[in-house]
Amino acid sequence: MVEAVASAVSPVIRRNNVTVSGRADGPVMLFAHGYGCDQAMWRRLVPYFSDTHRLVLFDNVGAGRSDVEAYDREKYGSLAGYAADLLEICEALDLKDVILVAHSVSAMVGVIAAAQEPERFSRLVLVAPSPRYTNDPAHGYVGGFSKEDIEGLLASLDSNYFAWAEALAPMAMGNPEDPELSEELRSSFCRTDPAIASHFARVTFLSDTRNILDQVGTDSLVLQCSEDLLAPPEVGSYVHRHLAHSTLVQLQATGHCPHVSAPQDTAQAILNYLSGSP
Amino acid sequence: MTGPGGPDPDHFEALFHQAPCGYLITDDAGRITAVNETFVRWTGYSRSGLVGSKLQSLMPVGDQILYSTHCIPQLGINGAVSEIAVEIIAADGGRRAALLSASRSPGSGQEPASVRVIIFSAHERRMYERELVSALRAAEEAEARRAQAEKELQHLALHDALTGLPNRAGLKAKLDAVPAGGGLAVLFIDLDHFKAVNDSLGHAAGDDLLVSVANRLRAAVPGTGIVARLSGDEFVVVDSFAGSREATGLAAGLLEILKTPILIEGLEIVTSASIGVAVNGDDDETPEDLVRRADIAMYRAKELGRSRWELHQPAESDYTVDRLRALGELRRGINDGALRVHYQPRIDLHTGRATGVEALVRWQHPTRGLLPPSEFITMAEESGLVRPLGAWVLGETLRQADNWRRESRRGADLDFAVNLSARQLSDPGLVTMVEDALRLRGIDSSHLLLEITETALMADPGGALDSLTALKNLGVGLAVDDFGTGYSSLTYLKKFPIDELKIDRSFINGLGSDSGDSAIVGSCIDLAHAVGIRAVAEGVETSGQVQTLKDMGCDLAQGFHFARPLPAPALKEWLDAHTRDERAGA
Repeated sequence: MVEAVASAVSPVIRRNNVTVSGRADGPVMLFAHGYGCDQAMWRRLVPYFSDTHRLVLFDNVGAGRSDVEAYDREKYGSLAGYAADLLEICEALDLKDVILVAHSVSAMVGVIAAAQEPERFSRLVLVAPSPRYTNDPAHGYVGGFSKEDIEGLLASLDSNYFAWAEALAPMAMGNPEDPELSEELRSSFCRTDPAIASHFARVTFLSDTRNILDQVGTDSLVLQCSEDLLAPPEVGSYVHRHLAHSTLVQLQATGHCPHVSAPQDTAQAILNYLSGSP
Repeated sequence: MTGPGGPDPDHFEALFHQAPCGYLITDDAGRITAVNETFVRWTGYSRSGLVGSKLQSLMPVGDQILYSTHCIPQLGINGAVSEIAVEIIAADGGRRAALLSASRSPGSGQEPASVRVIIFSAHERRMYERELVSALRAAEEAEARRAQAEKELQHLALHDALTGLPNRAGLKAKLDAVPAGGGLAVLFIDLDHFKAVNDSLGHAAGDDLLVSVANRLRAAVPGTGIVARLSGDEFVVVDSFAGSREATGLAAGLLEILKTPILIEGLEIVTSASIGVAVNGDDDETPEDLVRRADIAMYRAKELGRSRWELHQPAESDYTVDRLRALGELRRGINDGALRVHYQPRIDLHTGRATGVEALVRWQHPTRGLLPPSEFITMAEESGLVRPLGAWVLGETLRQADNWRRESRRGADLDFAVNLSARQLSDPGLVTMVEDALRLRGIDSSHLLLEITETALMADPGGALDSLTALKNLGVGLAVDDFGTGYSSLTYLKKFPIDELKIDRSFINGLGSDSGDSAIVGSCIDLAHAVGIRAVAEGVETSGQVQTLKDMGCDLAQGFHFARPLPAPALKEWLDAHTRDERAGA
């Protein structure tokens, strides 16, 4: 069950649409969604932890039901702005010994946050992380994309301008039976302001946070998917090499979102990791 | 067959393959398991090439990223996506605009999940959407340009165009955002002798100097600090400090930095500044108050010799503020030529002839009009400004003396009495200054009479004696001014090498009406004659007073009865008229 956190507690809670669920006295798991979606993308994964952990989920500003008014192009012009939000959420809820589960670009946001306030986090679970999406031939780094590819993405986002704006309402016909999914959630899922989506894409896919990795000493799990367009195997091993206390686990799940496509395997990998001593 | 009227499987087959859109079935990863004829024809690939490959791989990279980050999770969670605009790369390499809708069946038991995909050719719609988006982008850009222009305009209003620093309004805007409270300090910086640079090298050089100073300040002040240019050569630095020592430390550092020579138009210019520092003591004080206090401290730094910093103490009173403001005005007045010298004739009571003039300074104040010395001499005396002021009056008087000397014989005969202050008397450079001034104009020292007040004389009799002796040796005449108001001592009077005793106007006033005053004036005249010097009456206003003074044997007199202090041209006219009268009367 999801308990809405009283927004009177802190403006941060409303800004990031923070929700808390799970076992109130359990260790804290904080879930950070990646680009292109919102906190609902954790839906299939969180049931594996709700009996044992206190679960804190949120939307990045500009995504889901966050406060779009709070979107400041300057602040969110770098991943540091998102990291500041992440730390503010921890502070607002007074979270300690946080197990951060972060996907895609938010994995690197989490790394920045852990470099800034290492005492806040006990473990980092990085799902399909990438510290740099574009190739850097000068340093022999393979990110998977060229700058032109990223321009192509931005053009593609422009093409979908109206689709983003209309919240991609699901079709009435051919809808799968999924009674758990409330109509409200259905209509808001992955809704993003198109202008923000475009800006966030630019910030995400042109980010370079490789130098932060060396500053983090938090115990970490790197989950590498198969056939992940956004994070090829070279990237996963790069992250693993540069994070001092990290474990690299290769998942069978294909694609970029194993927590969606293979929630059970993903949960198992995380549980295995958490049961080991840090 | 499902019965009469039921659908024919062949019809389904035909509906699937010949539909006016592409149909595909994929697994969760996007791998194609089935595809219809329409799609095969539309893309130009072979069916065997398509089945087994990923649907995303038919898209350009941008669409692939979008599909991976957005569509696949949405299909996984929500079960459907609709009308996503993508491009499909056909076998010939061409890009086909398409709209993609899909729904996902979760699968059950042995049955794996599958995704049913419809792809419409959307050439027209894509064109239409592109136009709309580009119109939207253009509107956004116009708005951004407008916002940028507004921002630039605001920047202009709040910044000094020359140096790029915040101006007075900009400083105020910044200070409004700074919370008042402890730790805040203001450094008020004023360049020394900036006017000289402007005057001698021109305004372009002055501007170069200001820009260079601005850059130096900006580089030297920590990033947290505000550097602003208030006006002309006035700069302000505002920052938080751990204490007044840290603030004055920065001031000292800035003084050093500003002293480094600056190359302007091939000339090495050495500039210096005076800095006033004010540190916030209590929470009620606003940043504006701090700026005002720093300004006052800056004036004191100027007074105390420039090229230094002074820390303002919060206890300094408003009196000090007014006085310092007035001092600032007077200093500018001296520099900007706002001082005037007026001349009052001195009459020989034995002959009735004007033998000389007393030079009296006036200050043409910008708002208060022409001020007599009583309005500003004390202030000048206390601050030390009286030295440059006195030097100027002497120089100006001798310049005038030189003019009159060239104009007429009568002018060449005149004696010039000039006042000396106590400070000047104690100035070791006084004698040299007087000597140089005389030499500059070629005036015979016997035509100059320096007047020293009795009070000044008695303040440091030993020092005064040395100075007066040296002046006497130059051949300059000496007078004791305002005699009778101080502690007159015959013993001292005899010691000083003086030539003249000027009886204070307050006694002359009472002549004829107050027998006490008459007695005093009479004894002053007798005293003067007893030690062998002239007696001079000041403030003579009536013919009765003139007569009494004559009867008492007074030597010289001056006052409104003869003439009030006059500007040089008016004095010249008066003198010409008076000389005619002398002749007529003779």
